[in-house]
Amino acid sequence: MRYALRSLRRARRRSLYTFLAAFYPALILVVMFGFVAGELRGMFESATKLETGHLQIRGGEELPGGALPIFSLPEGVLEELGRRGDLKLLTLRLDLPALASAGSRSLGVVVQGVEPKRVSEISPIPGLISEGRYLAGPGEAVVGEELAELLDLRVGDTLVLLSAHPEAGMGAGAVRVVGIFRAPQAEMGRTVVQVPLETARRLVRRENAITSVVAFVRGVEGPWDAWRISRTAKELKEFLPEGLAVKGFQELAPEVAVYMRIARPVLAAFSGIFFVLGGLVVLNSFYLSFLERTRELGVIRALGASRRWLMGAVMGEALFLAGSGAALGALLGAGVVALVEHLGGLRMPGAYSEFLRAFGLEPILHLRVTPWEVLGSALAMIAVAALSAWYPARRAARLDPVEAMRHVT
Amino acid sequence: MSPETVLRAEKLVKVYRSDSVETPALRGVDLEISRGEFTAVAGPSGSGKSTLLHLLGGLDRPTSGEVFLEGRALSSLSSEELARLRLERIGFVFQSYNLIPVLTVLENVAFVLELRGVPKKERERRAREILSELGIEKYADQFPHRLSGGEQQRVAVARAVVGAPAIVLADEPTANLDGENSRALIDLMRRLNDSRETTFLFATHDSRLLDRAKRLLILEDGRITADRAGEGPWDSVQVTQGA
Ligand SMILES: Nc1ncnc2c1ncn2[C@@H]1O[C@H](COP(=O)(O)OP(=O)(O)OP(=O)(O)O)[C@@H](O)[C@H]1O
Ligand SMILES: [Mg+2]
Repeated sequence: MRYALRSLRRARRRSLYTFLAAFYPALILVVMFGFVAGELRGMFESATKLETGHLQIRGGEELPGGALPIFSLPEGVLEELGRRGDLKLLTLRLDLPALASAGSRSLGVVVQGVEPKRVSEISPIPGLISEGRYLAGPGEAVVGEELAELLDLRVGDTLVLLSAHPEAGMGAGAVRVVGIFRAPQAEMGRTVVQVPLETARRLVRRENAITSVVAFVRGVEGPWDAWRISRTAKELKEFLPEGLAVKGFQELAPEVAVYMRIARPVLAAFSGIFFVLGGLVVLNSFYLSFLERTRELGVIRALGASRRWLMGAVMGEALFLAGSGAALGALLGAGVVALVEHLGGLRMPGAYSEFLRAFGLEPILHLRVTPWEVLGSALAMIAVAALSAWYPARRAARLDPVEAMRHVT
Repeated sequence: MSPETVLRAEKLVKVYRSDSVETPALRGVDLEISRGEFTAVAGPSGSGKSTLLHLLGGLDRPTSGEVFLEGRALSSLSSEELARLRLERIGFVFQSYNLIPVLTVLENVAFVLELRGVPKKERERRAREILSELGIEKYADQFPHRLSGGEQQRVAVARAVVGAPAIVLADEPTANLDGENSRALIDLMRRLNDSRETTFLFATHDSRLLDRAKRLLILEDGRITADRAGEGPWDSVQVTQGA
């Protein structure tokens, strides 16, 4: 529509403002989508890989004091689970509250009995060894730098573990420290002692004892795929013997799940502010342009243009500006996200990286934005602009030609 | 009514109401315009010339009375239907700000055809044709603000006649022009009236322009007080004093 396009050129400055009013919100929203997804994925990965896996099978609810019930899987169940197509990795854990002593010092710790060959999938510790090596055989242990410092431990030293489980009672054993790891969180470095599963089982004097089966679900790449976890968890609950509990990621890492739930609404509300501002700029600029052009629009109506034509002319201008602004903004946002990813993610500045560390995140943010988010941001902005231009367009369409032509600008 | 009647007004009354003040602008006008007429409406300021042209052109509605354009009663039409009727059957020349500033002269002339949905090639051909007939084709690709007032009004006349309307209504088309340009514009309209048999009805309070009209209506205080047929010149005193 030539009239609409020429009118935009006439008021270049205002057209530019209108363009930017659609451009910036779309850009900001897409980049924020990138950040939030990056943050969510980071939290999700650290929660699942540092700790919990996607889901766990347990012997029941947590016991008073926080320990997990000890149980054994019936014969063949583990094999059957392993044949399921939707489960990726199954590994057994036996976690025990314990007292760790070396020399004259003792500290409360959690003994994690793990399968050393599979553990790297659910624990970062094999990759964090700063001294010595990771577990290779029974009777060995790795400890965090913090714990080593507090207990004055070195590689090769002996550590005495005194487990105290509410159901299994007390158990004692000595292990040899073969490695020291640098934990991403001080809390973890102070409290975690990893030992092979059979070493932990000796503390409770029970063969096949475990506190959880940790599993990953295929096709889960980030928190946005959490529904797959829930689906598998539900199926497992029906398949497993009575009394066992299946915990999905949402229950295992509730703080992350809560953050995930609020992140998007918060983002939406936050970007809503930009959208409202953008909409107001569009409304303002089109209303001004309507006032400036009243006489001209009156002449057009007098000549016999239909209301639809007038409405279309104004809306056409708005949609062209907002459409190109929002599209370019969203694409640029996607470009920024892609570029940051291409350069290896965003290294967070000091204070913020501390915050991330507290959550157990690496201070590098991997931005991520889906085509749907890019498209959705652009369309949302266009819708806001269309809504804002609608009132001036309607005024233009309903002009009384005689009055409009008498209008003094 | 005779088959040649283009426009007919019956007992047109228009009262403007604003803030409980009533201004009677037309107090009962009966009028018949036939095809091929070249009629001037003269009268002092405030006598109701603009009001009459607005009502005749379907731009405004009378308080009472009726306008028939080619036999159709305008009061029966919705405002969208009126717009359609204006687009297809009426040409307008206004006092000023006639042209759309963002469109070139050619586009301005072709604009009414574009609104009618005439294909681009065809409407540009017709627009060029009328521009060259009026001797202003050299401005075709200029924007209106580059033209003088007289040139702009000539373009407006071209736009008014390009769609071959039943009648062209021109409300003081020369109000912003000097004497020479005013006369030139009226001559131009008269030429179109002769060559194309386009019907014109124009309002003016410039008595010097009236001798080109074939018929003269004097409007005073909302009433037609004189209706003279035949070529001018008319006595200017007669005109301003209402015959
Ligand atoms: N929208 C309006 N509201 C109130 N009164 C109006 C309105 N338009 C016109 N009038 C009044 O109606 C009367 C006729 O006005 P109109 O414009 O038709 O006169 P005119 O002959 O065209 O005058 P001019 O030569 O000044 O253009 C005047 O008294 C005018 O003040
Ligand atoms: Mg007037």
